[in-house]
Amino acid sequence: MGFLRFAGFSVVRAWQGFWRNAMMSLAATATVVLMLSLLAALFIIISGLNSGLEFIESKVGVTVRLADDLPEIGRELIIRDAEALPGVATVTYVSPEEALERLREAYRAAGQELDTGGANIKLYSSLEITLTDASAGSSVAAALAEHDGVERILTKQDEYDALLGIINVIRTAGIVVVGLVGITVLFMIINTIRIAVFSRAPEIEIMRLVGASDSFIRWPFILEGVLCGLIGSLVTIVAVAAIWGPIQPIMVSVFQMPIAVSSQFLATLSLVLLATGLGLGALGSWISVRSYLAATT
Amino acid sequence: MPSLLRKPARPPDADAPVISMVDVGVTYPNGKVALSDVNVALAAGDFAFLVGPSGAGKSTFIRLLIREQRATAGTVTVAGRDLGRMRRGAVPGLRRRIGTVFQDFRLLPAKTVAENVAFALEVTGAPRATIRERVPRLLSLVGLDRHSGHLPSQLSGGEQQRTAIARALVHDPAILIADEPTGNLDPVTSWEIIQLLIGINDLGTTVLMATHNQEIVNAMRRRVLALEGGRLVRDEDAAAYEREY
Repeated sequence: MGFLRFAGFSVVRAWQGFWRNAMMSLAATATVVLMLSLLAALFIIISGLNSGLEFIESKVGVTVRLADDLPEIGRELIIRDAEALPGVATVTYVSPEEALERLREAYRAAGQELDTGGANIKLYSSLEITLTDASAGSSVAAALAEHDGVERILTKQDEYDALLGIINVIRTAGIVVVGLVGITVLFMIINTIRIAVFSRAPEIEIMRLVGASDSFIRWPFILEGVLCGLIGSLVTIVAVAAIWGPIQPIMVSVFQMPIAVSSQFLATLSLVLLATGLGLGALGSWISVRSYLAATT
Repeated sequence: MPSLLRKPARPPDADAPVISMVDVGVTYPNGKVALSDVNVALAAGDFAFLVGPSGAGKSTFIRLLIREQRATAGTVTVAGRDLGRMRRGAVPGLRRRIGTVFQDFRLLPAKTVAENVAFALEVTGAPRATIRERVPRLLSLVGLDRHSGHLPSQLSGGEQQRTAIARALVHDPAILIADEPTGNLDPVTSWEIIQLLIGINDLGTTVLMATHNQEIVNAMRRRVLALEGGRLVRDEDAAAYEREY
């Protein structure tokens, strides 16, 4: 009962305080919306790029062309060595006949028929290596290059590294921007709550004189900051939900985001926005009230 | 908890002081001495005036008792608690045992008389039933039952001070500290407030009243504590104001 009375008292006082200082409260809420909108945009972009990266990672592998005169025992040796290398998932031998058949399939898929002009062409035999870790491509290639019977090794490591570099730059820049806006929001909330605290200094003084504990003084203000964060995050979630309809197909088709992930994405993003808004609101007001209470008795 | 409506039975340790200062001094970091070597004890049920010129240390004396400030020397004990050793978290409990009244009333202007009194109970987590029972009882005690729905701005100075006194009594405090409670009031209203404080004292509450009002002190002939330059220069029972500050 005591806790419910305390909670009820704090919530009612927080609500009254929010609207008593409406201009500042709404300004702080608007900055929360701005910051969370940037966070949502960054979250969407980075999630899309990460999905794209994962898709590319699944495609990145190492192709080892084998010499025509490589005996079967030599090929088995290379396969065994390749399977033992760190970062290697599977090793598949592709015979010249199978390679030719694949080429024909590729032509058929493009609506054409492979025309060899009657010549009996023979393609290279090769090993197709898939990786558990896409960044291991270079080391796998280097290790296999030393084997006799290996003609040439193809990897997409350079393309992968370039894409990874771009994503890292975007991610770092985004985190810096969101961090700076987050700090601004924090200061806005600290300032808003500080003004609220000072405007109610006589009331706080009376509360202290009649024996109110610090919790009774502190929590209404903390909840007032939480209210700024809550309203700000709900507004942002509604806005993101409104534009998610046209964004979702792009995430699936362009960034190759799995459909199962994309259908859960809005819920995940909403939780991130809600937690960030509430956390910033609580932290800002807690800092503000704490410093005031510490300075007074 | 003693009731305000009937005189409590005399407790076994009634002679133990409810307020005690032993060799108390307050020196600010800049070297200014606010209080020095103050020794005083008030027993349960005492009524004392605290007098002295401006800057004598009266406000510091009161701030020490409600633990708004700590002594830099000596020991301050209130209701059996050593305030020098008291943790911050225990201060609200102390303040529920001390009612405080000020010259400027310190009422919340947007709340009615009843809400101002109830506020002191709400912010200490009192149940609604307690608030509903206690607020009308206190307003009746201070003669404001017909004004419970009025805002402070609709009240006279005396009525505002009665509201402040009712609020100070919500926790049935053992001690009532009044800092210049008649400072903003006309002589007739001042006497009414003094009579109210005497009535509260008769019910067993220790009352300490800081005042510059020579007429009241001389007429009441109660205990007088006189401060000058931070020192307690006089502590006499049934005394007069003696000199004009």
